[in-house]
Amino acid sequence: MPDQAFDGAFDKAGAAPEDGAVPAVHVEGLWKRFGQQIAVNGIDLVLPAGRFIGLVGPNGAGKTTTLSMITGLLRPDQGRIRVAGHDVWADPESVAQVKARIGILPEGLRLFERLSGRELLAYSGRLRGLPGAEVDKRAAQLLDVLDLTGSQNKLVVDYSTGMRKKIGLAAALLHNPEVLFLDEPFEGVDPVSAQTIRGVLERYTASGATVVFSSHVMELVESLCDWVAVMAAGRIRAQGPLAEVRGDAPSLQAAFLELVGANGREAAGDSLDWLGGGAQR
Amino acid sequence: MSAFPTTTGSGTGSDAAGTTAPAASLTSVFVRLKLSLLRNGLRQSGGRTAAYILSIVFGAVLAAALVLAFVLMRGSADADSVAILLVGALALSWAVMPLFIPSGDETLDPSRLVMLPLRPRPLVRALLVASLVGVGPVLTFVLALGAALSVAHGAAGTVLAVLAVPLTAVTCVALSRAVAAANIRLLTSRKGRDLALLSGLIIAVGMQLVNFGAQRLGQAGGLESLEPVTAVVGWLPPAAAIAAVDSAAQGDYAVAAVRLLLTAAALVALLYWWQRSLVRLMVEPDGSTIGAASDAGVRDRSDGTGLLGRFLPDGRTGAVMERSLRYLWRDPKTKAGAVTSLALGLIVPLVNALQGTGSIYWACFASGMLGMLMYNQFGQDTSAFWIVAQTISTTADAYAELRARAMALLVITLPYSVFVTALTVGILGEWQQLPEAVGLALGLLGAMLATGSVASGAFPYSIPQDSGYKNVAPGQGALAWISIFGGMLTAALLCAPLIGATIYFHVSDQESLLWLLFPAGSLYGALLVWAGLKVAAPRTARRLPEILAAVSKG
Repeated sequence: MPDQAFDGAFDKAGAAPEDGAVPAVHVEGLWKRFGQQIAVNGIDLVLPAGRFIGLVGPNGAGKTTTLSMITGLLRPDQGRIRVAGHDVWADPESVAQVKARIGILPEGLRLFERLSGRELLAYSGRLRGLPGAEVDKRAAQLLDVLDLTGSQNKLVVDYSTGMRKKIGLAAALLHNPEVLFLDEPFEGVDPVSAQTIRGVLERYTASGATVVFSSHVMELVESLCDWVAVMAAGRIRAQGPLAEVRGDAPSLQAAFLELVGANGREAAGDSLDWLGGGAQR
Repeated sequence: MSAFPTTTGSGTGSDAAGTTAPAASLTSVFVRLKLSLLRNGLRQSGGRTAAYILSIVFGAVLAAALVLAFVLMRGSADADSVAILLVGALALSWAVMPLFIPSGDETLDPSRLVMLPLRPRPLVRALLVASLVGVGPVLTFVLALGAALSVAHGAAGTVLAVLAVPLTAVTCVALSRAVAAANIRLLTSRKGRDLALLSGLIIAVGMQLVNFGAQRLGQAGGLESLEPVTAVVGWLPPAAAIAAVDSAAQGDYAVAAVRLLLTAAALVALLYWWQRSLVRLMVEPDGSTIGAASDAGVRDRSDGTGLLGRFLPDGRTGAVMERSLRYLWRDPKTKAGAVTSLALGLIVPLVNALQGTGSIYWACFASGMLGMLMYNQFGQDTSAFWIVAQTISTTADAYAELRARAMALLVITLPYSVFVTALTVGILGEWQQLPEAVGLALGLLGAMLATGSVASGAFPYSIPQDSGYKNVAPGQGALAWISIFGGMLTAALLCAPLIGATIYFHVSDQESLLWLLFPAGSLYGALLVWAGLKVAAPRTARRLPEILAAVSKG
C-alpha cells in the first residue's frame, strides 16, 4: 500500500521542524525497489519551507527515484509523502492540492518537442487551468528573463540542452508553485545558461518559495543551497543546514566523500598499468 | 551468408585487439544482443511475457495448420498457383509490415552503432542474421517449407527445395530490412515530414493491391483466373525460388536455375540497397525538423496559439485539442500513421466501388481505420506524458483530457467519414442508402474511439522516438497487437445492435425504415464515445505512474 506509514519511523529523523511550520516536504519510511535492486531504502526526510535545498549523492544513489516519488510520477512501494502538508499518494483531492502546488523539471523525461517553446508554455499553462491571457503574459516574461525570446518560435526538438532546461524551468514556474523540484537542472548546461537559471531560482526562493534540486556537483550545491540532504545507496546519510552537514570538513565535497565512505579509495597502483601514453597497445 | 564470401576475415577483426575472433564474432554478438534484449524486455513485465507466449503459440498453430494444408494439396493442379502466390503475398507483407505495424528491434538501429568501428559489410551480415531470430522469420521459414513441399517432386525438386526454402526466408527478411531502412532515410531527411505523406500513401496502395488479389481469389473459379498472375509472380523473387522448385519438379531445369539465380541476385541487390541506406543513416544527421523550425518561425504570433487556437474552446479542452492536431501534422510518426489511415480509409471503399464489386458498407472501413488513431494516445506522447500526468488528479481531469483528444480526432474523422461514405454511395449511385451507411459509419467510429480510449488507459505502450525503426519498444509488440486487435473486435461487437438492425430491416422488407439508422447510428456512436470515456477516465486517473512507466520504455 503506497500510503502505509512505517510505525516508529516518524521519530527517527522526522522530528518536526523547530519552528512548528509545515515543512515543504515530509517523507516517512519511503521504499522503492526495482526487481532485485532496492533503489530507495526506507528514507525519512524533512525539508523545511522557504529554503534552497540540495539533494546530493553519487550517480545511482536514488535521487531521481526519490524525487519522482515525491512529485507523484512514480508509485512508492511503501512510505508516506506529504508536500506542503498534503499527502501525495492519498485521495484525489489531496493529490490535486499537491499537484497544484508543485513545479517539476525532471531529468530523462521528454517535453512535447514538436511544439515551439512558446507553444509549450501556452499548452502547459492552459493544462493547469490558468486563464489564457494570464498564461501568455507570464510566458512572455519567462521567455524574456530566461533569454529564450529569440528562439520562442523554434521547435523544442531543435533546442540545445541548456535551452531545454530553461524552457522546462519556465514551464515548471508558470503556475507559480510553492515548491519547485529540479532534477539535475545544471547537467549539461553551459555557464551562461546556468547563470541565468541561477538568477531566476535565487529570485524565486528570496520570495519565500522552496527549491529542491538534485545534483552531484558539490561546489554548485555549496554555493547555492542553505540546506542539504546527502543520499547514497538508497539511504539518507545526513540532512540539515549546510554548515551543519559540512561540519569541520574544509568543503562539502570532503564532507560528502567522508559520509559516503569514498575517501579511502585511490587509483590502485598497478591495476591500470596498460593505460597511458608510453604503454604497449 | 553466401552473399559476402569475400568479407570473412576482413572488417572489424583486422584492426581489433587480436584476442577476439574476427568478423564471425560480430554476427554472434548481434544474435546474442537480440536475444538479451528480448529476454530483458520480457522480464520487465509479466503481462508482456504472457502476450509474447500467446503470439508464439498462435504462430505455431498457424504454421502447423498451413504446412498441413500444403502437404494435403500436394499433387493438386492448383498447388503451384497457391504456393507461389502465397509466398508472393508473404514477401509483400514483409515489405509493408515495418512501415505500418508495431515492431521493435533495437539490434537493427544504426544510430546506436554509429560510434563503433564497424565496416558496412560485416555489419549488414550481422544485422541480417540477427533479424532472422524471432517468431516472424521462423514462421516464414515454415511457410516457405510448406510451399516447397507442396510442389517438390523427384530428386531435382527436392534439391532445389533445400536451396529455395532458406533463400526465400532470408530474402523476405532482407526485403523487410531494406524497405525499413529506406523508409527511415525518408523520415529523417530534410523533407522527411512531407515524405511521410508519401510513405503513408504507398502503404495504402500496397494494401489495396493485396485486397484486390484476395477478392479475385474469392471469386468463382478464382484459382484459374489467377494463372496469369501466377506466371508473373513466379518470376518475382522470392516467389521465384518456389516457382523454381515447381519447374525442377516438372523437368524444366533451365527455367528452374534461372528462377533460383534471380532470387539470389535479388537478395544480393536488397542487401546492397540496405547497406547503402545504413551507411547514409549513420553518417547523415536527422534533418526532419529543419523545415518545421522555419515554418514555426514564419508564423510569429504573440499569444502562443495559432490560427487553430481561435476556433477551439478555452482551457484544457482547447489546449489538448490544439496540441493533438499540431502533432498530427508535425510529428513524422503520427503524421505517417494518420495519412495511412486517411488514405486507406478513402482508397479501399472507393476502389471497391469503382470496380463494381463494392458495397456501401465498405465505407465503414474508413471509420475503422480512422478510429485506430485513438489507440495508444499516451504512448504517442512518449515520456512527455509526465506533463499531462502532472495536471491530472481526479477522474474528471482524466475525462477532460481523453475527451479533448477524442474531440481533436473527431474534428478530422467525423467529416472525413461522412465524406467517404457519401462518395462511396455516390459512385455506387445508391443515394437512398446514404442514411444507413452514414449511421453505420458513425456508429463504428464511435465504437473505435470508445475502445481506443479504454485501451489507451489500460494497455499503454511506448513508441520509441530515438529511432524510426521502432514503433514499439522491444517486448511490447505483442501487447500492442493484442490491444489493437482486441479493441477492434470489441468495437465490432459493440456495433452488433446496429448491424443487426440493418440486417433485420433488409431481411424483413422494411427498407422504408432504414433511414432510422442514421439518427440511431449517430446517437449510438456518441453514446459509445461517452461511455468509453467514462470507463477509461477513472482507470487512467488511477494508473498515471504505471502509464508513464509504460510509455517511457525504450
